[in-house]
Amino acid sequence: MMISNDTGLMAHLLRRAGFGATRDELEKYLALGYEGAVEVLLNPSEPNNMPDDLIRRYHVEQSELRDIAGSAAYWMYRMISTSCPLEEKTALFWHGLFATGYAKLNQARSLLNQVDMFRRSGMGSFEDLLVELSQDPAMIVWLDNIENHGSAINENFGRELLELFSMGIGNYTEDDIKECSRAFTGWTLGNAEYMSIRAAKDSIWPYGRIAWHFDYREEDHDDGEKTFLGETGNFNGEDIIAIIAKQESTAQFVATRLFQFFAADEVTEYGEKAIQAMMETYFSSGYQVRDMLRTLFHSDYFKSEEARYARVKNPVEMVVGAIRMAGSYQNPALGIENVSRNMLFMGQGLLQPPTVEGWHEGSEWIDSGALVERVNFVAKELSNVKSPGVRSIIDRLEAGSDAGILDPDELADGCLDLLGPIEVSEATRSVLVEYAARLGNLDLKDHLQGDLAEQRVGNMLRLVAATREYQLA
Amino acid sequence: MSTQTKSPGISLDYVKTIGIVNNGFNGRGFANPYDIIADDDGQIFVLNRCDPARASAIRIGICNLDDEYLGEFGRGNGSGDGQFNWAVAMALDSQGNLHITDEYNHRVTTYTTAGEYVSHWGTPGSEDGELNGPAGIAFDSADNLFVVDQHNSRVQKFSVDGTFIAKWGSSGSGDGKFNLPWGIAVDSDDNVYVADWRNDRIQKFSNDGKFIAVFGSSGQGEGQFQRPTSITVDLEGFIYVADWGNERVQVLAGDGSFQLLLKGEATLSKWADEYLASNPEEKAERDVSNLTPNLPAHLNTPYHTSSQTEPYFWGPVSLTLDNQGRLYVVETNRHRFQVYQKR
Repeated sequence: MMISNDTGLMAHLLRRAGFGATRDELEKYLALGYEGAVEVLLNPSEPNNMPDDLIRRYHVEQSELRDIAGSAAYWMYRMISTSCPLEEKTALFWHGLFATGYAKLNQARSLLNQVDMFRRSGMGSFEDLLVELSQDPAMIVWLDNIENHGSAINENFGRELLELFSMGIGNYTEDDIKECSRAFTGWTLGNAEYMSIRAAKDSIWPYGRIAWHFDYREEDHDDGEKTFLGETGNFNGEDIIAIIAKQESTAQFVATRLFQFFAADEVTEYGEKAIQAMMETYFSSGYQVRDMLRTLFHSDYFKSEEARYARVKNPVEMVVGAIRMAGSYQNPALGIENVSRNMLFMGQGLLQPPTVEGWHEGSEWIDSGALVERVNFVAKELSNVKSPGVRSIIDRLEAGSDAGILDPDELADGCLDLLGPIEVSEATRSVLVEYAARLGNLDLKDHLQGDLAEQRVGNMLRLVAATREYQLA
Repeated sequence: MSTQTKSPGISLDYVKTIGIVNNGFNGRGFANPYDIIADDDGQIFVLNRCDPARASAIRIGICNLDDEYLGEFGRGNGSGDGQFNWAVAMALDSQGNLHITDEYNHRVTTYTTAGEYVSHWGTPGSEDGELNGPAGIAFDSADNLFVVDQHNSRVQKFSVDGTFIAKWGSSGSGDGKFNLPWGIAVDSDDNVYVADWRNDRIQKFSNDGKFIAVFGSSGQGEGQFQRPTSITVDLEGFIYVADWGNERVQVLAGDGSFQLLLKGEATLSKWADEYLASNPEEKAERDVSNLTPNLPAHLNTPYHTSSQTEPYFWGPVSLTLDNQGRLYVVETNRHRFQVYQKR
C-alpha cells in the first residue's frame, strides 16, 4: 500500500497534535497544507465541544462533579468532541507533568478548574503558566503549600517546583529550595482551614462540595530578603518564577518533556537537534510554549521516518482516538463513566495520576499488562457497525471499490488507510490479507446495517486495532 | 437578608432550608434532586435523580416543613417496574397519585403517595402518544395530563391513564416551536406554560395548545434566561421560573414583566446542624469562614460562583408552590430545597 507523503505526514501530525483523525478531518487538514494545519492546531478557536448545558442536564453527577468517575467522564466528553484537539492534548500534557490527583484533594471541580487553566495558559508563556500553577488551589493543596507559612515553611511545593516542574534535580541547592519556599508563603486558598479539613475528611456535608479559589494572605507571607540561584532580594513567588524561567536548565527541561510527549518516547542524537532548536525558541520567544511546539512540528526530525510510530499511545490517546474514529458518544449517554474507568484499567485514570511524578509513559503503557484492555476496548469500538464513524468507513470502502466488490488486499489496505493511514510491516499486512481471504471477496453492494458484509468490515477493523502499529502514535 | 433586587408587585421572604446530601444510603437527605411537590397535607415529595453509581438513592423522599423525614420509596436504577434511569419530573393528580417521567426509559411511572407502585406507560417513538425523552409533566383542573416530549419537540396531552388526546409543537425557535423543552405548568385558568429550555424562554399556550405569548430571551439580565428548567404560576398569575443556567429564580408578572429575582440564601438545615454538632472540628472552622467570598475574575460565572458560594442556588432545577403561598426551590447540586414565603 502506497501512502502519499503529504497524507502520511498529516496523519502523523494529527496523531501527535490530536487524537488521530477520521478521514473527513484528515481531508480538512490536508486542504490547509501542513503549515496551515499546524497554525490551526496551535491557535485554537471555538472548540465546538459537547456543550456544558447538555452534559449538566443529563448527567447530574457531571453537573455537581462530586466524585472522580463523573469528573473524568466530563473531561472525556470534551476530548471526544473538541475540534481543537491540540488544546486538549496540551492540557493532558501539563496534567501529566504537573500531576495533581483527586485522591488527596477530594475536590474534582477544582481539579477541572486546573485543567481549564491549562487550556487557557498551556500554550502561552511558561513563566506565566508557572505563576498560574503556583496560584492554582488544587496544586496548593496537593503539594501542601496550604501548610507553607511565614512562621514555618513547608518545602514540598518549592522542592517539586524546581525538581519536577522546571529545572530538574542537580541545578539548585537545598538552600535554594528553602528560599524558594519562603517566597510562596501566604499563597493559599480562601477559607483554607475549613477547606483543608473537608479535604482531609473527604467531607461532602452538609450540602456537597465547595470549590476552591486562590487567596493571598499578606500577613502570612515572609517578605524578608532571600537569596535564590545567586540573586538576592525581597522576593515573592512571581520573582522566583522569573528567575527560574530564565535558566538554561528550565529551557532544556521544558523542551525535552514537550519532545517526549509530542515527538518520541526516546531522545536520539537526531531528536536532540529538535530539542536544541526548541530551547532556542524558548528564549527567543519569551518562553512561549506555542512557539516551541511550532518549532518542533516543523523540525526535520518530526517529519522524518524516525519519528513515525516512535511513541506508544497513552491510554487516553487510545480510548479517545477510538471513540472519535467510531463517532460514538455524540450525545450525553449512560456508560461514559465506564469509558473513563477503562482508561484507568489501562493504567491512566484521568485526574488520578499515581504520584506527583505523573505516569510512566512509553513502553511501560504496554508492559504493565494493559495490552489486552487496550486491544479489547478499541476492537469493540471499531467493530460496532452501528457507530456513525464506522458506517462512514464502510461507505467510503464501498465508494472507493469497483462496483462494491473488494478483494482481500483491497479490504485490508482500505481499512488500514481509513484508520490512519497506518503503515504496517509486510508481515502484519499479510496476516490481515490472509484473514480477509478466508471469506473471499467482500461484496458491499446494497449493504444493510449490521449485515454480514458490514460485519466483515467491522472484523477487519477489529483486527487492525490489534496490530502493533495501531498501538503506536 | 433577601437577595431580591426590587419588588413592585410581589415580595418573597426567605423562610428556611431543608436537606443534606445523601451519599446513596437509606435514610434522610437528598441525592441530586430534580423535582419537588408539596401536597395539601403538608407532605413534601422530593425526586432524587442521582446516578447509577448510587442506585439505591434513586427514589422519592418525603419530608415536611418541620424537618421531619417521613420516608422514601422507589425501586432503584433500571427499567423494571417502578425503577428509573433518568427520572425528571413529577405531577400529582386529583386522586393523590404521583406520576413521574423517565427521559431514558421514555415512560411515565405512577406511584401512590404512600409509595406503592401502580403502573407505567409509554412507548418510545414519535407517533401520537409515543414519547422520546419525556421531561416536564403537569395536570390541569380536569386531570388532563401534559407531558413535555423533549426530543419530539412537542407537548402531548393525555388522560390520566395515558390515553392520547392532543399534541402541539415542532422543532425550532419561532412561536409554538421548541428546542429541548423541559418544565411545564398549568395556571388556575388551565393555560399551559412551557420552559423552552434551549430557546431560553417561556411560552404560554391555551389548554388546547394555541400559542398565546412568549416571555424572555437569552442572557443574564432581568427577565432574561439561561436554560430555564421549571415554572410554576400562583393564583394571582405571577410566574416563577427556575433560571437554571443563571443559578437563580425569577418572578414575572402575568404579562411577562420582570418582578424580582432570588439568588438563594440558604442557611443550615436542621439536619445540617445535627451533622455539624457531631463534627465540632469542622464546625469550628466553618463558623469562622466566609461562605460568600469574592472570587477571581476567571471564576465569575453563575456556575462557578455557585460552586464556591454555598448559600446561593446551585442547580436550581425545579420549583413549586404550596397552598399557603410558600415557594420551594430544589437544588440538584446542593441536595436541599430553600423555602420562601410570599407576602
